[in-house]
Amino acid sequence: MRSWGYKKWKEGIYFTRFQTPRGFRDLVPNDARKYAFVEGRLRDIYAKWGYREVRTSMMDYYDVIRGGTGDWFADSLFKFQDSDGKLMSLRGEVTTQIARMLATNLKERRLFYISNCLKYIEDKALIGRESWQAGAELIGGDAVASDAESIALLVGALDALDLKGARVDVGSVQVFRILMSRFGIKDYERITRSVISKSADDLKNATDDKDAIDAFSYVMRKRGGPEVLDGLSEIAGGCMEEQRDYFRTLFRLLEAYGCADRVCVDLGTIREMKYYNGIVFEGYLSGFGMPVGGGGRYDCMMREFGLDGMTATGFALSVDLCVKALEARGFEFGERKVPLKVAYNQGKMGEAIRLAVSMRADGKNCTVDAARCESDMEVYGDSSGLPLEKGV
Amino acid sequence: MTEEIIIAIPNKGRLKEPVVKLLEGAGIKRVSDERVYLSDTSDACIKVLSVRASDIPVYVYNGIADIGITGRDIIAETNLDLYELADLGFGSCTMVVAVKKEKPYSTASDIRPGSKVATEFPNITKRFFNDLGIQVEVIALRGAMEIAPRLGLAEAIVDLKSTGTTLEKNGLKQIGEVMKSSARLICNKVSYKTKYGAVEDLIRRLKEANV
Repeated sequence: MRSWGYKKWKEGIYFTRFQTPRGFRDLVPNDARKYAFVEGRLRDIYAKWGYREVRTSMMDYYDVIRGGTGDWFADSLFKFQDSDGKLMSLRGEVTTQIARMLATNLKERRLFYISNCLKYIEDKALIGRESWQAGAELIGGDAVASDAESIALLVGALDALDLKGARVDVGSVQVFRILMSRFGIKDYERITRSVISKSADDLKNATDDKDAIDAFSYVMRKRGGPEVLDGLSEIAGGCMEEQRDYFRTLFRLLEAYGCADRVCVDLGTIREMKYYNGIVFEGYLSGFGMPVGGGGRYDCMMREFGLDGMTATGFALSVDLCVKALEARGFEFGERKVPLKVAYNQGKMGEAIRLAVSMRADGKNCTVDAARCESDMEVYGDSSGLPLEKGV
Repeated sequence: MTEEIIIAIPNKGRLKEPVVKLLEGAGIKRVSDERVYLSDTSDACIKVLSVRASDIPVYVYNGIADIGITGRDIIAETNLDLYELADLGFGSCTMVVAVKKEKPYSTASDIRPGSKVATEFPNITKRFFNDLGIQVEVIALRGAMEIAPRLGLAEAIVDLKSTGTTLEKNGLKQIGEVMKSSARLICNKVSYKTKYGAVEDLIRRLKEANV
């Protein structure tokens, strides 16, 4: 027995024809409800912290975006040609777009967005080529105070989602670069790869400098509070003072936010985007295999857009992964509001509609449908899961 | 140590025996028979997941298993974001480029652009030849590719070699080395953070048992 309509297949209507393209999916009502729930909570918490929502354009000139994200990310964008021959790309992430907006006409300090982003290459996190991201960007101001606010807001956002036990790891691209130059390391990529994968054995093959191995091994394995920087300062001999003070201040501020105990220094935290130049951080949950969001400081990109001297920090949360994490914990995404049903018999349609109009005016959700036959009315109401209000 | 740790190990292949021995040396002995894929062990906090070696990075990346033991070759081929916490040393072999004996090639750089290369490791092979600046066409096979050059399916192969006997018997010669491989201990990035104490403790035990 063919399960999906042999006759339809004969007519040229076959199942695979109606599938979504690889890496894309529809959110059916039950999924859409969960996404709306998560987005609603995030919108509330971002607003509570004084962030204002932006909706960035779906398309951009490719060259502009590539300037911010670097070639590696830009390669994975969907691209089109405009009628004048210019190359355009679909939104692949929002941070670069926000820098672009700031470079032209926008003067805002706190912005947030909830957007779908498209990438040509399938994401390793197996969430496909379309992903929903909810991010917050903090522009200007004192660097360490902004970083602390951004981290605290990330913790706050995960708490607002009832994702209990969320934690954040903080690393620093800056610390990493200082170490690279301190030990005069040329083979940047090999060291970075071994640190990202915490592979002590690869590190030993990447350099002969024993002091460098000691320092990077420490970076890889040591976890803790700001005292991690004290230890590194001792090993790396003096070039870490500024960073050490920075992390101390950062944690003092996080203390004030009441979340210092949930933030951990892991200097091996390195994020993929080339635009980060200060701290980078990632939020994660116990029992969920991948980080649900992250961000960092990206002053360098602001320079790329002609905003010399402007500082910026921010993060993005993956709505997809937040929904998945909540599902994995058996979370109830608010109660589904089941509408009442107004069922009418032949010739009574007008009356039924009038009843429905008055019910909606009273704030009740309802639908109007024909009762298939008198005796069937009750059964019909029950079997479709709708409470039967009254027959007309 | 109170947190539960799931460790993924190969259920067949060259790494299976040494891994089981290593775990036993660290006092971790599975309690159910081999066909139970997820098994309790003599250590109440540790479960063992027996799956194909090539699938282990995927289980660990997604956090289904916290820790896994598999070959460096497989980790490089799947190329997922994981922690590679230790080189366990055993199960070592070399991934090589080989061609028919009669070919006048002496290094991998001699392979002509546009050649077909048969391999079980298409991603590594592509990266390797890209780094050499030679564009090749990769044919993904699932084993016994030593026969491919002889039959004219491919000019060269990229495959694992432990002794070289198979290459020899099929009239091939090695002209280049792609990478060295051995068993690696990998860890899910979030598990490492959230179960730091337990993971570090287990790594220490495995390293001690490995000498």
